[in-house]
Amino acid sequence: MSSPALRRALRRAGILLLTVLAGALAVFFAMKATPGDPALAALGENARPELVEAFRHTHGLDKPLPVQFLAWITGAVQGDFGRSLTLAGGVPVGELIASRLPVTAFVGLYALVLAAAISLVVGTVAALQRGKAADTVMTSFAVLGVSMPDFWLGYVLVFFLALNFPLFPSYGFTAPAESLPGALLSGFLPALAIAAPMAAVFSRVLRASLLEVMHRPYVQVARSLGHSGPFVFLHTILRNALIPYVTIIGLQVRYLLGGVVVIERVFGIPGLGSLMVDAAFGRDYPVIQACALTFLVIVLLTNLFVDFLCMRLDPKARA
Amino acid sequence: MGGLLRSALRSRTLLTGLLITLLVLFGILAGPWLTPFAPEEMDFINVLTPPDAIHWLGTDSFGRDVLSRVLSGGQVSLLISTCGVLAGAALGVALGMSAAWRGGTYEAILMAGCDLLFAFPSFVLALFMMVVLGFGVQNVIIAIALTYLPIFARLSRNLTRALLPEPFVQAARLMGQRPARILPFEILPNILSTLLVQASIGIAFGIVMEAGLSFLGLGVQPPTPSLGTILADGREYFQRAPWVLTLTGLVVSVALLGLNLLGDGLRDLTDPRLRKAAGP
Repeated sequence: MSSPALRRALRRAGILLLTVLAGALAVFFAMKATPGDPALAALGENARPELVEAFRHTHGLDKPLPVQFLAWITGAVQGDFGRSLTLAGGVPVGELIASRLPVTAFVGLYALVLAAAISLVVGTVAALQRGKAADTVMTSFAVLGVSMPDFWLGYVLVFFLALNFPLFPSYGFTAPAESLPGALLSGFLPALAIAAPMAAVFSRVLRASLLEVMHRPYVQVARSLGHSGPFVFLHTILRNALIPYVTIIGLQVRYLLGGVVVIERVFGIPGLGSLMVDAAFGRDYPVIQACALTFLVIVLLTNLFVDFLCMRLDPKARA
Repeated sequence: MGGLLRSALRSRTLLTGLLITLLVLFGILAGPWLTPFAPEEMDFINVLTPPDAIHWLGTDSFGRDVLSRVLSGGQVSLLISTCGVLAGAALGVALGMSAAWRGGTYEAILMAGCDLLFAFPSFVLALFMMVVLGFGVQNVIIAIALTYLPIFARLSRNLTRALLPEPFVQAARLMGQRPARILPFEILPNILSTLLVQASIGIAFGIVMEAGLSFLGLGVQPPTPSLGTILADGREYFQRAPWVLTLTGLVVSVALLGLNLLGDGLRDLTDPRLRKAAGP
């Protein structure tokens, strides 16, 4: 790695760390500004004062705010996000996140792969058949796809697929660690529901960027050199059209994760999303803070990865 | 302007979107006079009846006409989403334009803040705000506004920055006009069309966000009817009466389809470069 590239990478890492720190500050102090006492929420409105006092002491809620923040952030760096206020026996939040994160990562990646696969086919066909019936049909489906709320699509998929084809379970989820085929099957409908609107967005971008690249001079050069149509398409057109495509995938990851949150809850998948929704109902502040921060880090890391990928794809940036 | 109108009339996307949106708006606004049932009117003899000529979308577990509820819920959802997007847009545009004008540390800090907000998954941010503020209609509006604030701030900052070197801005500046006059009266009219396109797409997403939050029970609370609470109701008896959830969602999808087509058509119209690149 050359030194400007290294400097660039270090700068990006620095910005990422600062953003996470700012995010942690925002999340922490927004949470402290909420009306209502977490101790009373956990113990009940009629809790005895000495119990409330003890609860505050064990969770460090009786210390000044900056001290609480420092304690929280130093713990968080080491993976210790405090203890849950509601879940039995005060489970360490770090453990909860660690056990839920793989499930969310699996569902999210599954949806991403499905969306990418669908959109590659739809976008390519629409671009190659521009203006013909296939293009109109695919483009219409793409707009329709963006317009369907994902959680509703999830239910309809369950109704029409799971109830008629017992292949897909209608509820519940097999962890990928338990059985990968089971996880792929039980995760298929949820992932498809999340993927549908994403695939719609991706295929529209791919279609537009394919159409733009197709008429570039370098494509004509490749053709005039006598390369076959499919070769030119794969190596010259698709490769260059992938840069905006990959960029939009990166930008949409934050929407995709939003879909994951709702869908996890709808299908009863024990991931970060359903953890966060449960915590929202229980006003379990440490869990909500940790979940929000974890999601933030996931998005930031994805952005970093997408930038890296675009740099690799773009011959101009690589030189 | 005549050319613009002519291409607007020729754009099938725009016309279809406009038609659907107008139909939906008409249904929502005139709903109370169109359907013979009040949204809260219970009928315990006709509980969970399938769709028929009297109840087009069937009835729910209280025997309430689902179509009437969807129309009045649509009113609430549309109002929430529009207020949220407009509030986010107003604040975002003000911040973004002022950032472009002042530049320097002010701009850097504002944009860093926007990047931070933008880095949270949108639904996670909304969920978080619902916990901080509490559930309920106003807070859904605030959550939607906060989700859209960074988008509008960044968009208007970029658009404004591109216009600053233009002669008409320079002229206004040399005439000694204050930024409080130049920004809203000279620059804003020139970037308004792009902002409106973003807003029309934003309202569609805002409706989905309200529906998602309320569907999980974290947004609008029953008995206030909104699309999200009606969908959540439909989930309760999905096994016995799947049509409530299915058809309600279908109506929502068609409404959003109209808004999205309208936004697409408007975008193509305001950005001729995109129209050429993206085809018919």
